[in-house]
Amino acid sequence: MEAMRIDDTNSVEQEKFLETAVKTVKAEAFEMKRSLDKSKRMDALKHASIMLAELRTGLLTPKYYYRLYIDVVNELNHLESFLLDELEKEKKEESIAELYEHVQYAGTIIPRMYLMITVGVVYMKLMPQMRAELLNDLVEMSRGVQHPLRGLFLRHYLLQVTKSLLPDAAEGVEPAIPGSGTVRDTIDFIKLNFSEMNKLWVRQQHQGPSKEREKRERERMELRILVGTNLVRLSQLEHLTQEVYEKEVLPSILEQVVSCRDPISQEYLMECVIQVFADEFHLATLNEFLASCKELAQEVHIKNVLIALIDRLSLYVSNAVGSNIREEIQLFEIFSAQAEGLIQSRSDMPIEDIVSLHTALVSLAVKCYGEKLAYANTVFLSLANNLKDKQVEGIDMYSHAGKELIRVLRVPVDEYKDVLRVALLTDYPRAMLPLNYRGRCTASAFILQNLIDNETGLKSTDDIDAVCSLIECLLSDQPDQPEDAHDSEEFADELNLIASMIHLIKAEDRDVQFLLLNGLRKRLGAGGKWRIRKTLPPIIFSIYELALNYQQSDGDENWDMKVRKMFVCAMGTIGALITTGEMTQLPLNLYLEGAIVANRIKFSENAMVVYEFISKALSVLEDEIADSRERLSALALVTNSVLKVDCLASENWEPLVGQIILAGSKMFKKADQVRTLCSAASLYWKGKVAESEGELRNGNKVTEILKKSAKVAAQCMEPLVQQQLFVHLLNQYYYFYEDGCTVISPDVLSELISRTRDAAIQLEPSREADDIDQHLQHTLQHIRNTKDKYPELAEKLQI
Amino acid sequence: MAAFFGFGQSAEVSIKLDDEEARKLAKIRAEDGTTETHYLFYDGETVSGTVNVTLKKQNQKLEHQGIRVEFIGQIEVYYDRGNQHDFISLTKDLARPGELLQNTSFRFEFPHVEKPYESYVGTNVKLRYFLRVTIVRRLTDIVRELDLIVHTLSSYPETNSNIKMEVGIEDCLHIEFEYNKCKYHLRDVIVGKIYFLLVRIKIKYMEITIIKKESVGTGPNVFNENDTLAKYEIMDGAPVRGESIPIRLFLGGYDLTPTMRDVSKKFSVRYFLNLVLVDEEDRRYFKQQEVTLWRKPDRPPRRALETNAIRDNGEHVEEEERLSEDEEAATNKVSKAVPPHQNGENGESHEAEPVDD
Repeated sequence: MEAMRIDDTNSVEQEKFLETAVKTVKAEAFEMKRSLDKSKRMDALKHASIMLAELRTGLLTPKYYYRLYIDVVNELNHLESFLLDELEKEKKEESIAELYEHVQYAGTIIPRMYLMITVGVVYMKLMPQMRAELLNDLVEMSRGVQHPLRGLFLRHYLLQVTKSLLPDAAEGVEPAIPGSGTVRDTIDFIKLNFSEMNKLWVRQQHQGPSKEREKRERERMELRILVGTNLVRLSQLEHLTQEVYEKEVLPSILEQVVSCRDPISQEYLMECVIQVFADEFHLATLNEFLASCKELAQEVHIKNVLIALIDRLSLYVSNAVGSNIREEIQLFEIFSAQAEGLIQSRSDMPIEDIVSLHTALVSLAVKCYGEKLAYANTVFLSLANNLKDKQVEGIDMYSHAGKELIRVLRVPVDEYKDVLRVALLTDYPRAMLPLNYRGRCTASAFILQNLIDNETGLKSTDDIDAVCSLIECLLSDQPDQPEDAHDSEEFADELNLIASMIHLIKAEDRDVQFLLLNGLRKRLGAGGKWRIRKTLPPIIFSIYELALNYQQSDGDENWDMKVRKMFVCAMGTIGALITTGEMTQLPLNLYLEGAIVANRIKFSENAMVVYEFISKALSVLEDEIADSRERLSALALVTNSVLKVDCLASENWEPLVGQIILAGSKMFKKADQVRTLCSAASLYWKGKVAESEGELRNGNKVTEILKKSAKVAAQCMEPLVQQQLFVHLLNQYYYFYEDGCTVISPDVLSELISRTRDAAIQLEPSREADDIDQHLQHTLQHIRNTKDKYPELAEKLQI
Repeated sequence: MAAFFGFGQSAEVSIKLDDEEARKLAKIRAEDGTTETHYLFYDGETVSGTVNVTLKKQNQKLEHQGIRVEFIGQIEVYYDRGNQHDFISLTKDLARPGELLQNTSFRFEFPHVEKPYESYVGTNVKLRYFLRVTIVRRLTDIVRELDLIVHTLSSYPETNSNIKMEVGIEDCLHIEFEYNKCKYHLRDVIVGKIYFLLVRIKIKYMEITIIKKESVGTGPNVFNENDTLAKYEIMDGAPVRGESIPIRLFLGGYDLTPTMRDVSKKFSVRYFLNLVLVDEEDRRYFKQQEVTLWRKPDRPPRRALETNAIRDNGEHVEEEERLSEDEEAATNKVSKAVPPHQNGENGESHEAEPVDD
């Protein structure tokens, strides 16, 4: 807070200084223009000089000085165009030369230099043959301004106003106008201006008290573009040839950068060089540039420089038309050696920097040398080794280093779009290890996500092994895994990804497919309670799916055995869900699903498998399911499954159904007993057994069970529930009656109808009562509608 | 009116030079600061013309004891006005004693007159040339004077080495400065550079001043007068070691005369380039270097641009000298330094800078 306040008062003060200065500038500019209009050139220059004297101030910070500078330069532009107009009309060579001399009488250097530049520009425009000489003169004379801020702005002005005048004619060819200069003159001019500006910029760092260091660094950053403009100008020269760049321009820039020993300047200028000059130039001077990188100050974030260069060149090379550049220049070797050397030489390099250097290298390897997996692999190996050397582990993925690490791990995944290819980078998983548990899981998760997004089919054990090697941390408990890891959303998401992965297993051969599934099952089975709950069910479904595809033996003599093996495998897997996974409902469902699937496949032992599966399901029901609601629905599922099965012999069928009825009659609530028994009754009606064709249609058994149900219903104390059950029973009876169960007599129906009708009247009015009544009315209506079919019944009921 | 009462002169005398139309005019600053314009002569030129005596009243004769014309070169020291020194005095008699009855013209000619010195108006001394016509009479002579201006021309100096010197204050400031010549004509350009060998002080700015030193008299009666004629900032801000600062100073715009040494044993006018560095505490460090100024015959072709390269003719003298501080205490200590220099500019006072010897 305090710092803010200080800054505030400071800016108020600055505004005041600026305002005063601008006022003078305005006033003198006005006088200057008036004198110009009256053709009093000397007076105009005098006013311009007073105006320019405002730029001698030492009171303003760079930001405010810049504003003042802009105002002054505007006025100078006016002066320049006015003088150009006038002198063009006069057509006298001496007048401009005299004017150029005249402004040099200014007693102070700042106004003098600005005026010299302004008049010099007019001079150059009028007499192009003087360009080379004048440019040299101006840049040399500017040496007199040694004050960093004032010098930087002066030289910036020089650079700005001469922008369109810089000679750019090819070297060695006499220019059209002798003396108008060639690109050589411009290079010399900018080289000098650049090195002088950089010196001033660096010197700025050493001015004032050391406690204001940060402020000064901030101010310097604001001014860097002034220095950088020199390099931009150089890069814009049409006739700056690669040769000149290589032999002269770059060496002199590098010399300046290295020798200034200023981290801010070094880092900025190196990046600047990378950004402004052409890729071809960079390629040609790679070694020189990199050699200089080594000589930079320790404080320079050299990795930024290197990364910028690598990124730039990898982009260029990967887009290059003739990609033989890659062969010509051992880009990868050069850069990786550089990076390694850099890391070795800077023991205090932050982890994130080490990692991001590798990121750039991986990008280069992956983007430009996609076919050379060894390159990318080397980088991961070196990254792993470097991190090992630094003894870093358990990196948080949200830390700087962690983010970088995740980034580098993503590069080949995103670029290859083929996880199997990533898996060929054998050292890749090692680079994951320094991350903490969550970080590794995240990395594995995006690998899986990529696998799924690209629908990469897994066709062999090798494929599975490859993928598993990349997602190790998702498959089993990890030493550094937090206790409650399974509670997180991420954990669930990651398991879903694994589940999705299972569906990518697509072997060409069915046997192999089973082998793969079984193999993966074993791996996943070791995942512990929380994982297998989600990962094993899809395996089981995949096995069922595979089994269904295996309906025909296709001449395979081992067919029976193979199908059986699948079910054994599925059964064992379900068993694991119960024992290790501590699940009930789902295994029960899976058993039943298995029974149905097995029933559809006509292999020799299918009846045995079906019996086993259903009995297992019943065991689960008996042993594991205590909650009555769950039991109810589970029993319904079992019942339905048995209904769908037709391969069981009576000797196997009977015990199962008996068990269902027993389970139904053991239901805790009377109402539940009634309902389960009702549905069990249908087993004897609609169920099928192996020996006989068609449904059993055992009316005696049906009525027996229904009667039993009715007895139980009668024991029900609550009138509402009882009524509900009786209506249900009525429906059941009528259903079987309608379906041709002759054992059911119309008497029974009529008794049920009258009973329910009577009870309906007795019920106290309530919402539930209404619903039940409605149900009853619908049932009766249905009976009425069908009365014509059953005259006997109609008569009995008198409807 | 005076003539009406018989007191005034009864005749007008005028001097007309022969080539007035063609002769150049020159300006000179008068004692009172105003500028006077007179005809310009060079050494050895003939001064000739006509003296016209016009009678106030026609038909009234003018009695005289003789008429003569003189060409005089004279040095006048202000503090000793009565004691003028004529270093040249040529006389021509135009008429013997007698009477003039009518307006009369007399031709005169001083052939190839030697004019060894330049006209000069200084702070304490004046050197002038003039023609004087005297009609000698019994009571009051009738006198008429005509001032002339003389410029002394020099040819291009045979030796004109550059000035190069390393100066400094031990462990504090070492610079090497270089002026391209030691002799400059009045419309010349001083080109040079300052090279910083050691900088341990925070310099605020650096300037060059042109100082004119006029000394009059001899022995114990010397009157010195220093005048700063130009002040020219050549550097803004603090340089570091290795910086080289260019100098380019056009002389044409300043009011300068040629250097005059021991003119007729009466006075000297000499010029010095004073290099002054001012640090952030406003202490001044300076080094004065005499340069010879001379007048070149023709206006030289002007060129606004002068290369910064300093011609090195191998004759320059290299010597190390100590830079003076503009401070009495300091200058006293630095015995080898240039003669004590009174800060004649604005009398700023400065904190003493201890010199570590």
